[in-house]
Amino acid sequence: MWAGLLIGLGVYALFGIVPAIVQVVISFTNYTGLPGAPVNNVGFANYTAMFTTERPGFESAIWATVAFVLAVTIGQNLIALVLAHRLSGESRWAGIGRVLVFLPIALGVTIVGLIWILIFDPEGGPMSSFFSTFGIHSAFFGANSWAMPLVILVQIWQNAGFSTLVFIGGLRAIDTQIYEAAAMDGIGAWRRLRRITWPLLAPAVTVNVLLALVGSFTLYNTIYVLTQGQYGTQTLGMLAFNTAFNSEEANIGLGAAVTVTLFVLTLFVAIPAMLLLRWRERRLMGA
Amino acid sequence: MSMSLRLRRPRLVSGFAMGLLVVILFLAPVLYVVMIAFQSQQHFLVSPNTPGRVVAGNFGTAWNQADLGPELVNTVLYSVVAAGLSTLLGLLIAFPIARRLVRGASGYYLALMVGLFLPFSVIALYAEARSLGLYDSRFGYIILHVEPGMPLAVLLLVAFITAIPAELDEAAWMEGAGYLSYLVRVVLPLTRPALVIAFLYGMVGVWNDIIGPVVFLADSSLFPVTRGIFVFYGSNTSAWPKLAAAIVIVSLPVVILFAASQRQLIRARFMGSVKG
Repeated sequence: MWAGLLIGLGVYALFGIVPAIVQVVISFTNYTGLPGAPVNNVGFANYTAMFTTERPGFESAIWATVAFVLAVTIGQNLIALVLAHRLSGESRWAGIGRVLVFLPIALGVTIVGLIWILIFDPEGGPMSSFFSTFGIHSAFFGANSWAMPLVILVQIWQNAGFSTLVFIGGLRAIDTQIYEAAAMDGIGAWRRLRRITWPLLAPAVTVNVLLALVGSFTLYNTIYVLTQGQYGTQTLGMLAFNTAFNSEEANIGLGAAVTVTLFVLTLFVAIPAMLLLRWRERRLMGA
Repeated sequence: MSMSLRLRRPRLVSGFAMGLLVVILFLAPVLYVVMIAFQSQQHFLVSPNTPGRVVAGNFGTAWNQADLGPELVNTVLYSVVAAGLSTLLGLLIAFPIARRLVRGASGYYLALMVGLFLPFSVIALYAEARSLGLYDSRFGYIILHVEPGMPLAVLLLVAFITAIPAELDEAAWMEGAGYLSYLVRVVLPLTRPALVIAFLYGMVGVWNDIIGPVVFLADSSLFPVTRGIFVFYGSNTSAWPKLAAAIVIVSLPVVILFAASQRQLIRARFMGSVKG
């Protein structure tokens, strides 16, 4: 037992905790990643640089992150709730529906990204043709007003299946006898949904909201495939990557500082959210 | 009367409308890519939204030009082994914590839950991989991808194990079952839904990591297929039929895998699989 526990915790510490700490250390240096360049302690210079106009993009990245996180967390969970409600049955059609909804997860970020780039291809792609019949022409992923909503759409499309899976698990864990008893007592469908399904689904809601919240906060890979953070889609996760690796003057120290800031922000939002959701669970389940 | 008793769950949306929506939203984009994969490049440039004469040549071209075969093997190796290890380690951590067999169990649990919020520390991991000899190797790439899946595995497994009555442990131990054999024979089957979800989550994580191959791998023969296909996209931006064919080839195995495992996933209950 001890051996298993220690190996597990050891791997977690070595590749989860240690790099996170090293990342914090790097954020206080002017490490560029260039061979031969001196590495010095620069104190909080990277952090102050984020807030000055020296390196523009930090403030807009915060707003992009807020919009992205809110839209994805709410949209993904609402859609997944409706999907799970319809697809949790035993019928053949429900089974096919589940396969379809899970399809984007299997396909993965790169493939999903390429699929949507093709569909919103500004030159003759299906959505371009569709919108042009209404006289709307756009570069879509290459347009400031379109890119962010489309990236949100792709992210929800990509991950709705996972949330649906968790909701279906939650629905299935509810004893059907409760519904039968309620139906016998003449309690209508809407009240059964509100008084039985919704409270008993609380643990699944907790898992889903937290995963969507944290997932969208730290996301960069989908955005990397779709826009590389251009056209107003540069969230903090994307900014950190672009600053560290993908700019004219790659600055790993500053990139690390953005990552650390992102982490602190994520904790500031996710921990209260977790406590709130747990409290809600206890209240609903106890009632 | 008996009909109303069989009524399982209240319904909100009509089945047909929902089915139609699911098909349009989730199937149509994929079908479109399949259609493009069978178009000739000339047809695609003229009218990409109509099915043209069916051409199969794109698949051979994509297979050869994008080097998909070896990359697919790499991907399977990386994702299956890394996800398997993180699920297994998750179980080895979760059981003592859930049963509070160690002092400070909630402390360990909390430390692991922090991991759910840790951003992937690419920069530090790169330095670590270099100094530990994990850079540019298959083994190293796998080891570097074990940790990200562990927090969720522990979260799910602790919840599941807590739902298994502790009397079951005592009964098994009285009969003289060893720790590992108890884990394998009793805990494993009862936590199967959590294990499957954790495993798939781990696999998806490896599959979706498109920065990792750039940072941790230099030799292109070690590239996973997602990296390969993105490089292929970068050098063939308007050759969509060829690209779509590559997408179809790469997607087929994972789609089959998921279609096969979804029944398993759903049949198993999410929480509290044991009833007294």
